[in-house]
Amino acid sequence: MSSTFGQVNQAMSGLNAARYQLEITAQNIANAATPGYVRESVQLQSVDDPVLGLWSGRGEIGGVRAAGVSRQNDPVIDARARMEHGLDALASGNANNLSAIEQLFPEPSDNGLAEQLNDFWNAWASVANDPGSSSGSTAARTVLLQKASAVTTHFNSLSASLQSVADTTDQSLASTVQNVNSDASQLAALNARIVATTATGADANGLLDQRDRLLDDLASRIGAVPTLKNDGTVDVDLGGVALVSGTTAATMSVDSSYNVSIDGAAVTLASGSAAADLQTLTTDIPAYQAQLDSVAFTLATQVNDAQAAGYDLDGNAGGPMFAGTTAATIGVAITDPAQIAASGTPGGNLDGSNAASISQFGSASSGADAAYSVLVGNIGAASALAQQKQSTQDAITTSVDALRSSVSGVSYDEEVSNMVTYQQAFQASSRVLTTIDSMLDTLINHTGMVGMT
Amino acid sequence: MIGMRVTVGSASYRSMLHLQSASSRLAELQDKLSSGQQIMKPSDDPSGTVRALALRGDLKRSTQYAANADDAIGWMSTADTAYKQAVNLLQNARTLVVQGLNTGANDAAASTALANQVDALRGSLLGVANTTYNGRPVFGGTTAGTVAYDPNGNYVGDDGSITRAVGANNTVTINQTGPQAFGAPGSDVFSLLDIIANTLRVNPSGLGSALGQLDTAISTVTGAQATEGATYQRVQAASTALTTDNTNLKTELSQVQDADAAELAIEVATANTTYQASLQVTANISQLSLMDFLK
Repeated sequence: MSSTFGQVNQAMSGLNAARYQLEITAQNIANAATPGYVRESVQLQSVDDPVLGLWSGRGEIGGVRAAGVSRQNDPVIDARARMEHGLDALASGNANNLSAIEQLFPEPSDNGLAEQLNDFWNAWASVANDPGSSSGSTAARTVLLQKASAVTTHFNSLSASLQSVADTTDQSLASTVQNVNSDASQLAALNARIVATTATGADANGLLDQRDRLLDDLASRIGAVPTLKNDGTVDVDLGGVALVSGTTAATMSVDSSYNVSIDGAAVTLASGSAAADLQTLTTDIPAYQAQLDSVAFTLATQVNDAQAAGYDLDGNAGGPMFAGTTAATIGVAITDPAQIAASGTPGGNLDGSNAASISQFGSASSGADAAYSVLVGNIGAASALAQQKQSTQDAITTSVDALRSSVSGVSYDEEVSNMVTYQQAFQASSRVLTTIDSMLDTLINHTGMVGMT
Repeated sequence: MIGMRVTVGSASYRSMLHLQSASSRLAELQDKLSSGQQIMKPSDDPSGTVRALALRGDLKRSTQYAANADDAIGWMSTADTAYKQAVNLLQNARTLVVQGLNTGANDAAASTALANQVDALRGSLLGVANTTYNGRPVFGGTTAGTVAYDPNGNYVGDDGSITRAVGANNTVTINQTGPQAFGAPGSDVFSLLDIIANTLRVNPSGLGSALGQLDTAISTVTGAQATEGATYQRVQAASTALTTDNTNLKTELSQVQDADAAELAIEVATANTTYQASLQVTANISQLSLMDFLK
């Protein structure tokens, strides 16, 4: 049998629970759009064995109490979302970097290197038609030298632009590494605070949200894998090498040859934006640069050899037209139009047979044009593949995000519907209190008053 | 839980993805339509890009071959005019020789007059033999000089041939050197006319063999002209073929590289409708909430 006033406590606990639930609902609605916010809900517990309080005694039914606030997340889905975000960052990083490289090769167009090579070969044909004379005009030869210079300038600027893409990627990688190290030290600090907060029995949900956001960031940047522990802390490692261990954070660094290490231990990045940047820096750009160099080398070698086989306007054997053997260094070596070896025979005549045969180099399957077209095809195919991968990965990532948000996200409808429930619970508890009050009133003020009026 | 919870985030992730893909598809199509190009960058169609590059190269070369053919035709037309003039001059000389034979030794003054006319013809013929095209003597081979024959009628050109590429693997020789057109040095038309003029002055009756030699010279010139004519035909044929090639290449390139405006316009309209629909649906869905129905 309960005490007279025990029910007041019961009604009071109902009022408190409803108020607390409304408080959490308000918190959920307020953070509906906060990135990384995980929906919270109040864990209610009925109290069968009440604590002793004012007017209460043994054997009473004690009402309700809030046992805690739980975060509605699913660690399995969280882990999957992080993995997909790492892959997504890798795919979109690759697609973006390749697209930056691809933009340097605006083919097919009138402005690309292919068209300038065509113009260069045609200029040789014009020289063959009009080799000029020692007394007369050398217009065709002058035009040829201009076209040659346009080609070499284009090579130089392509090479420089590739290098500048490499520089930008390098900066992006450096800033990623900085962010990773900052995330790692924040995580280590958070681990300490989470342990301290939970030890005092306080609510660490806000800290856990922050922790998860940092884990998401690390996954996107380097594809790091977290290990969640029971005390709410988290360790992060990369291929078995610890980045965060308890309250200690290691330092990630990248050397000038793009070897990645964590506190000196070498690690391999397989995912995340840093992996994309590394691939661009160590594989893509060096490969395209080498192919471009080989195009420039082929051009210079073939034309110089052909020049040497011919004779210039003064009857001397032709000297090299191009200096340099790479795209960055190639340049036009001759300045005097008369030194173009248009003639196939010595003696300073107006034969154009050597120029005519050079003008056919553009169609050679082993020539610079063919090599350049293969390079453009390679870049186009790589970029198309990267874009394809990115759009597939985007769809996967979005659906995982939606799934994650479906578990941990806030739904207004749900919150509002809960709000109505809590409001009514509050009203019902109030009604219970009013009823008890009225009962007590009857008992205290009206009992034994029969006939006393 | 019944099915998947729909939350603020899950709904917006999906609608964002759909909106993004609809709007980027629309932008890409509009880009193609406004530029008229099917391939805006190599990744749009890597193999098409390589094909387009090859076709553009072919097209450029074909344009150059056509320019070469035009140049060859210009050269040969100039040479052809020179041949016609040379034949005329030589036939005039033949008439003078016939007159000289008829006059015989009877009238020295008349013979001398004829001899002077032959000298004048020789001078004109020398001018014809030094005809130039684009500053180069057409009968001078590949000489860097400005004339094929010096004023004394000595050949100062060389025996180089002038060629023009008028197609892939189609190179034609468009010139005849002075010796080929006017006879080998020493026995060419200029020394023949020299001899005729001298004979007219000294011994007009000794002209008997000159007539035959002139006929041989005329046939040498007309023979060279015929060779030139045959080459001319060949270049003309190549030029016609090049025009066809050019058109074919342009058609092929256009198929690889250019956008089909009509088809694209329809695709743009469809993409536009899709985009509008996604916008509309997104806007409508987001407006609805339980809050609308609670008092």
